Amino acid sequence: MKRIFLLFLLVSAATYAQKEMPNVSLKSDGNKTFNVKNDFAKKDKIYVFTFWATWCVPCINELDAINEHYADWSKEIDMEVVAVSIDDTRTQKRVKPLLNGKKWPYTILLDTNQDLKRALGIANVPYTVVVKNKKVVYVHNGYSQGAEKELYNKLKQL
Amino acid sequence: MKKLLFPILALTSGSLFAQETDTITQQTDSVYVPEKTELRVYGGFESNVQWYLNDKERNLQHPEDPLRSNNYYLLNYNYGRWTGGMQLEVYEKNALLNYNPGFKGGGLGIYYLNYKSDRIDATIGHFYEQFGSGLLLRAWEDRALGINTALRGARIIFRPSDNIRLTALYGRQRTGFNVAHGDIYGFDSDFSLSSLLGFETSDLSFGASYVGRYEKIDMPDPPVNELTNTFAGRISFSHNSFYASGEYNYKQKDVLLNALNTLNYNFIKPGSALLLNFGYTKEGLGIDLTLRRMENMGFLSERTPTSVGDNISTSLNFNDKIINFTPALTKQHHSNLANIYVYQAQSRVSFVDPTIMMSGETGGQIDVFYDFAKGTTLGGKYGTKIALNASSWYNLPGQYRFNPSEYDTNFFGVGKNYFTDVNAEIKKRLSESWLTAFYYIRQYYNKEWLQGGEAVKTHIVTAEATYNFSPSKSIRFEGEHMFADADFKNWAGGTVELNLNDKYSIYVWDIVNYGNDDKNRRVHYYNFGGAYRIGATRVAMNYGRQRGGLVCVGGVCRFVPESTGFSLSVSTAF
Repeated sequence: MKRIFLLFLLVSAATYAQKEMPNVSLKSDGNKTFNVKNDFAKKDKIYVFTFWATWCVPCINELDAINEHYADWSKEIDMEVVAVSIDDTRTQKRVKPLLNGKKWPYTILLDTNQDLKRALGIANVPYTVVVKNKKVVYVHNGYSQGAEKELYNKLKQL
Repeated sequence: MKKLLFPILALTSGSLFAQETDTITQQTDSVYVPEKTELRVYGGFESNVQWYLNDKERNLQHPEDPLRSNNYYLLNYNYGRWTGGMQLEVYEKNALLNYNPGFKGGGLGIYYLNYKSDRIDATIGHFYEQFGSGLLLRAWEDRALGINTALRGARIIFRPSDNIRLTALYGRQRTGFNVAHGDIYGFDSDFSLSSLLGFETSDLSFGASYVGRYEKIDMPDPPVNELTNTFAGRISFSHNSFYASGEYNYKQKDVLLNALNTLNYNFIKPGSALLLNFGYTKEGLGIDLTLRRMENMGFLSERTPTSVGDNISTSLNFNDKIINFTPALTKQHHSNLANIYVYQAQSRVSFVDPTIMMSGETGGQIDVFYDFAKGTTLGGKYGTKIALNASSWYNLPGQYRFNPSEYDTNFFGVGKNYFTDVNAEIKKRLSESWLTAFYYIRQYYNKEWLQGGEAVKTHIVTAEATYNFSPSKSIRFEGEHMFADADFKNWAGGTVELNLNDKYSIYVWDIVNYGNDDKNRRVHYYNFGGAYRIGATRVAMNYGRQRGGLVCVGGVCRFVPESTGFSLSVSTAF
């Protein structure tokens, strides 16, 4: 069994990285349906999908930190932050008051059954996926204080 | 097993391209994608390794097989409308301490084949699902808790229009590398009326679901149906800044368990759950109130929990073969000390002894989020964010009798208090380089009823400060103290975390139970470690002492024994 497992690992290392966003539809906080592949596809626009949860402190710090610069960044770069909440029904009701309380201007998607999280192979949040022209162009795992600056530098290069 | 794996392996190495099958209707400003279907391979890998050591000071012997690991390898293939995938799981040499004993050795944990078009989404094999808030059905995975209750069977989701979703499913629940005996039948419907009614700033939707669990009862003329039917209806409404939703669930009468987790055929009751939620939000303010009453809402794939052989634990202790999802509706705190007394929702009927008889829980939770704007007196130069939260949960009020077991509850009112938590959080940026936060938590934990032991009242204070040396280099300090009037009494703790850049971070933390009446238990629980992140990969290492107790993720808990040792975890996605 162990050997099969290792073999699998090697094989997957050789396969090419994921290029397109998966074809998953999610509801927004306003109960509208968005397809993450086709509804975030304006030409040359950069979509920053940040995976978060109301109970995840670094996630909230990241979204707060991005928010402090969001107006400036948006002026320089054609970009949009899509905050995908992986909260399950236990905490999902807290999403809306929290984002308003924090004045977050982001598009919020609710991945309650964690379909998108699973389709992207994400183990834990925070996790950032940057999409341009329907292709995943950058991913980052985790958040530490100040990492939003490095994200911004990355976005400028795309 | 091997027979099945090899053709798949052969597929992985080849890259397949085919031509023009899908035509996607594009918005005018959308990206034009060449109409070519390509084989997409995606998935992830996660490994959690523990090396348990002896700890003389705490008198701990490492378990048999001191080096243990849980490994998950998820691999999916997508080609046009078809997706197939599997999850290979290996627990070597044995799973981490106190995981479901069904996770042993290795094998194919999950496999499925899915077809998805605009209207139809059909799956055979394993799938995850949730109806409404999950009070009747939730098939899900949480690796940290060792939960995987995916259903193995078939599911079809039909969307005749954008406003209607219908789901029908049949399956058996995964338990370890097998499936439970009970057959699960489910039907769910979701209707959104907003566009039909031409709402612009409002939203109205409702849904109804059915879940049936069939398990044969080995006796002539059983006192209850072998098929237990459950029903639910839900409605959700929002208008401008206001929103409200409600859900009612009903479970047909079924046989209950006695204190030894065996069936008591003279104790038969129906179950029900009511969940209400109201909220008001506008920019800078959010208020949310949730009320929930659950009576006898234990709903298992097999009526009798499986004993694991140590005469204490059953499958219930590992959250195994549980069909529905009844999480604790309390705030999940992140400080170490605030996670010593965590509440687990009491959905089941549990008669422990003639003084402790529970039939469910009732209570509520309120959250308030407020942002004092920049430039106001309380907001200062950078603004001030506050969050208030309170929750309180009780047994259902009514008459209870231990022998023969019987209860009769009242709908309104509360019984014995299980748990109360009142807390406040203030976050304030002092300057470009200093960010501070302060937390105060007041808890009441009725350990006597919930776990056995003494009820305890605590006050927890936590202060946190982060200093930025440069935009991406920072250090975080956290100090915390818990005043507790009983049980383990007082604790103190501290954390220092250094973020070198967005890739490396290291931390050290320690909590000490200095107030314990038993001098031998006034020990330090120290931990230190670091994490490295690059792209989709994260590697974390840790050495330290694990406090025994409940480890909870999202309101669901797993009991872990005390241990000391190294841990390594690796996760990546591709």
